[in-house]
Amino acid sequence: MANTDLKTLADRAVAEIGAAADEAALEAARVRYLGRKDGALAEFTKQIPALPAKERPAMGAAVNDAKRRIESALDERTGALRAAHLERELGAERQDMTLPPRRLRLGRVHPISQTIREVSRIFATLGFETVEGPEIESDYYNFEALNIPPGHPAREKWDTLWISNPLGDDPAHPLLGRTHTSPMQVRIMEKRRPPIRVVIPGRCYRYEATDAIRESIFFQYEGLAIDEKLTMSDLKGVLYAFARQVFGGDRRIRFRIDYFPFTEPSAEIAFSCFICEGRDPKCHTCGGDGWIEAAGCGMVHPDVLRRVGYDPTTYQGFAFGGGLERLCMLRTGAPDIRLFYQNDLRFLEQF
Amino acid sequence: MLIKVPLEWLREYVDIRVPIDELALKIHMSSTEVKGVERPWWDDNVRVGRVEKLEKHPNADKLQLATVEYGEGRRKTVVTGAANLSVGAIVPFADEGAEIIDGHTGERTTLRGKPMRGIKSEGMVLSAKELGLGEDHDGIQLLDPKLPVGALLREVLGETILALDVQPNRPDCLGIVGVAREVAALLATALREAALDPLTTRTPKGLDVRIEDPEACPRFAAALLRNVRIGPSPAWLQGRLVAAGMRPIDNVVDITNYVMLELGQPLHAYDHRELRGGALVARRARSGETLRTLDGVDRVLPDGTLVIADEERALGVAGIMGGESSEIRQDTTTVALECASFEPRGIGRTATRLGLRGSSGSAAARRFAWELSPDLVPLALARAVRLLREHAGAELVGVVDRYPRPRARVNVRMRFSDVPRVMGIEISPEETLDILRRLQFEAAADRDTLVATPPAVRTDIAIAEDVVEEVGRIAGYDRLPMRIPDGPLPLHERHPLEEFRERARDGLAGFGLQEIVAYSLIDPGWLSQLTADGSPLAPEPLRVTNPTSLAQSVARPTLRPSLLDTARRNLRNREGIAIFEIAPVYLPRRGDLPEERWTIGILLAGNAEPARDGETWLTKPRPWDIRDLEGFFDALAELLHVSHPPAEPASAPGLHPGRSIAFAHDGAIRLAAGQLDPRVAERWELPLATFVGEIDLAWWHAASRRPEAKAPSRYPPALRDLAIVVDEATPYRHVVREIRAAAPELLESASLLDLYRGPQAGPGKKSFAFRLVFRSATGTLSEGDVERAMKRVVGRLEHALGAAIRS
Ligand SMILES: [Zn+2]
Repeated sequence: MANTDLKTLADRAVAEIGAAADEAALEAARVRYLGRKDGALAEFTKQIPALPAKERPAMGAAVNDAKRRIESALDERTGALRAAHLERELGAERQDMTLPPRRLRLGRVHPISQTIREVSRIFATLGFETVEGPEIESDYYNFEALNIPPGHPAREKWDTLWISNPLGDDPAHPLLGRTHTSPMQVRIMEKRRPPIRVVIPGRCYRYEATDAIRESIFFQYEGLAIDEKLTMSDLKGVLYAFARQVFGGDRRIRFRIDYFPFTEPSAEIAFSCFICEGRDPKCHTCGGDGWIEAAGCGMVHPDVLRRVGYDPTTYQGFAFGGGLERLCMLRTGAPDIRLFYQNDLRFLEQF
Repeated sequence: MLIKVPLEWLREYVDIRVPIDELALKIHMSSTEVKGVERPWWDDNVRVGRVEKLEKHPNADKLQLATVEYGEGRRKTVVTGAANLSVGAIVPFADEGAEIIDGHTGERTTLRGKPMRGIKSEGMVLSAKELGLGEDHDGIQLLDPKLPVGALLREVLGETILALDVQPNRPDCLGIVGVAREVAALLATALREAALDPLTTRTPKGLDVRIEDPEACPRFAAALLRNVRIGPSPAWLQGRLVAAGMRPIDNVVDITNYVMLELGQPLHAYDHRELRGGALVARRARSGETLRTLDGVDRVLPDGTLVIADEERALGVAGIMGGESSEIRQDTTTVALECASFEPRGIGRTATRLGLRGSSGSAAARRFAWELSPDLVPLALARAVRLLREHAGAELVGVVDRYPRPRARVNVRMRFSDVPRVMGIEISPEETLDILRRLQFEAAADRDTLVATPPAVRTDIAIAEDVVEEVGRIAGYDRLPMRIPDGPLPLHERHPLEEFRERARDGLAGFGLQEIVAYSLIDPGWLSQLTADGSPLAPEPLRVTNPTSLAQSVARPTLRPSLLDTARRNLRNREGIAIFEIAPVYLPRRGDLPEERWTIGILLAGNAEPARDGETWLTKPRPWDIRDLEGFFDALAELLHVSHPPAEPASAPGLHPGRSIAFAHDGAIRLAAGQLDPRVAERWELPLATFVGEIDLAWWHAASRRPEAKAPSRYPPALRDLAIVVDEATPYRHVVREIRAAAPELLESASLLDLYRGPQAGPGKKSFAFRLVFRSATGTLSEGDVERAMKRVVGRLEHALGAAIRS
């Protein structure tokens, strides 16, 4: 009797809910059937206490059953309505995706800093530690400790900017802008014992007219490795590994004779041209001969070792040094070294 | 030093049976850098011609018609304005289509026949300039009458020349013979040295030589020659001088230059009439002694300068420059020829002091600054005497050669295994010996022991490594294998300051600022333009004593002018800028290298938005302001975990006094930031609202801490808003400090929502509205917990700062 009424009620409610067109209709249906005070089911609940005791559990169960059916219909319809709504919105809402985005301001690290980091990273993989040292140097470290005493003809290779200290100059220890990063070879060896593997990036100075490939203020990287059995062939291998990382692919490397007072034997390193592979006689990158001269190198001179207190019959090793800007110019095609220091943001924003 | 080696001259000493390019590559790889190979470039249209007929041009007074025969009966008529032609003259003739040099522009051009005053010129007879042989364009280059008519000009005139850049350790290669010695070794062929009559040394009457300082002048020889006839030197000798880059003068001077080019050893000729006392003396200059040098300048000789003198006066600065008084004249008949050896570093120092160093020095001085072998002295003297006899009619009176302490031959005692020890490649003892002998070393071997004796001219060989290089380079560096070293790896040290610096660089770039790297040497004038009254911002800078330009003549003691200059130049083509630089500034220290103090500099000016390309459709333009600058500093400090470095407040010179902050520590400003003094901005043509800041990197680094990480609280926050009124003079950070101190455990953050000044706050007051977030790590906060914390905050603000709470 009452159960039949309840079932009819629930059937009607489920049908109504299934047909509800929107969330408002659903809410109205919920209030009508499940409302606490005046809902249709509440009418039945109210009657329960008046029933004979043995009918009460059956009635209670029937009410709960009806309630569950209605609630589940409400949930289902709510989900269906939301999905339909979302679908309508996806169909209707459009942004013109061809318009430009909100532009972020991009900050960039200067190409020289980028190149220093890359050189350090590559040599780190070969066991070289990056160290730094003073730009304003003494004549001793820049020249004398490297076998270049005053009056030595090789000084012509390093035209020097001499520095005066406003607090007083010491004629016996003149200051200069270091003409190469090589003084750090001596400073490191004075402080450490072999084995040594270091790379030194840094700013250098020369008394020199500037042009597209030469600056009087520029950056170099220097390498130094000392142990008991390093040879020219190890030097060649290290620079070959470096060239592969910097220029990619199967670089070849060429050594030719060169002269530095602080290395013996000495060599100049060239990398095979990564633009033309030696096949373009008019190549701008290598000048047509297929080789890019990149750095000077050699075995550390026994007199340099002796001066820092190393026994050259026990220890030997190699050093190398090259221009940082040149690496960057070769890789990016930057046509003029001066561009790096003019800091025109239109140039820097390309890196 | 750049030298030119005419191949024809080189062939006199060594047979070259390989193509020139192959030779040049071998020399470049294993001996001396080859800067270039110069070749005659005239094409098949340029030949030797003979003028057959000369006629007046019918339409022009200054032009002639010349009929030129140029072999096999071919002849053409050309129009020319040259006045030095005569019938029978042998001239360079260019047919139409020839490549020549345009006499007016100096550029290469292809010759086209064109009418001149109505008559077509069928070719051209050429001037020196049009041949590319010189600047002379007044007349036609007349050729040797013996040249075969019709021959290709490039076959009979002009030479192939190797341009070499000789390194200072190889003075032996400053002469053609030295280069020939290298080529002979490279090609494994024989060196033909010039046959020389040995000079019998008998001291001639009327000439003696004395060395007063054998350290500075180890060897001094001279020859006395009479009946010398001064005149032009023979064409072949002139030709070689020109090819090697020297100007012919007269036979005596030319021969001394010729011998210098051939052997590397300079000589100097004196007119014997001018030698008072008949002696040449190598001595130190007397105090105040003067000399008129060949360049016509009266020079006071610096004390201790080595001079060549007669018994009364200085005749020249030894090895560097001759004097006017004793130079060879047209009527000279008796010549004293000096050939000496000088200590090179003394020559270098004297040349520097006289301003005659490097390319401004004479060819002789530049050679003497290198370590020429004393053994070259008798060779060069004998060679010069022979040439003077042959080409100047000279008779040798006698020769004197002083060499008080003859240098011992160098014997390098080493092991054959030194070669693989240094080079990392096996080169057999047999090959080692072969290479050394090709290089004219004497070599004695006993099992692994090798004694190598270099030829006397090789002053660069002293130790085993030198010999190893000789063997390695001739064997070829391309034989070296490539090894990755497998020796012990050193333990690396950490570099905390450098790591900190790199994190700062990444941080600032990450904030959208562009890094710059500016010149570290700057214009000293910039330093007096950083404050309104021109007073300096930084200590007196280090100065370059020989700057390349005023604009790069002091080491910058502050980054600020570089930032201002970079902004000024960039703002000419953009509306806004945000840049930073991280670099050392140079601060003088007494009796020591300067301090290189790593510094961060930041500059903001102009438009902050739009970020790029002037695009405003999503982002409206707004100018950078002081809070942006503070924000970058604040964010960078947070990123780098910097808090509360030791500092005292300071004033910031060059910045707007009401819109800047500065902190000092240990007597120096470590941080300064704010709006640039508008008067300074104006001077630098910058927007009045320009913001700059600098931080001492090491000072910040010392106050940075390693981050300590905790798990975030799992419990919900409680939010409370609080408005307070304080005196205008109360700093914001004091308010925050007191709030934090009141509830250190529970307060998660205190954010400023609003700042109000006005009637509701009252005169001389300001009002802050905060949002406080409370949260516990151990449980959900109850209403009561939060109320108690708020009471403590309010109480503390009232008590410590006299704050009033607004409801
Ligand atoms: Zn190339």
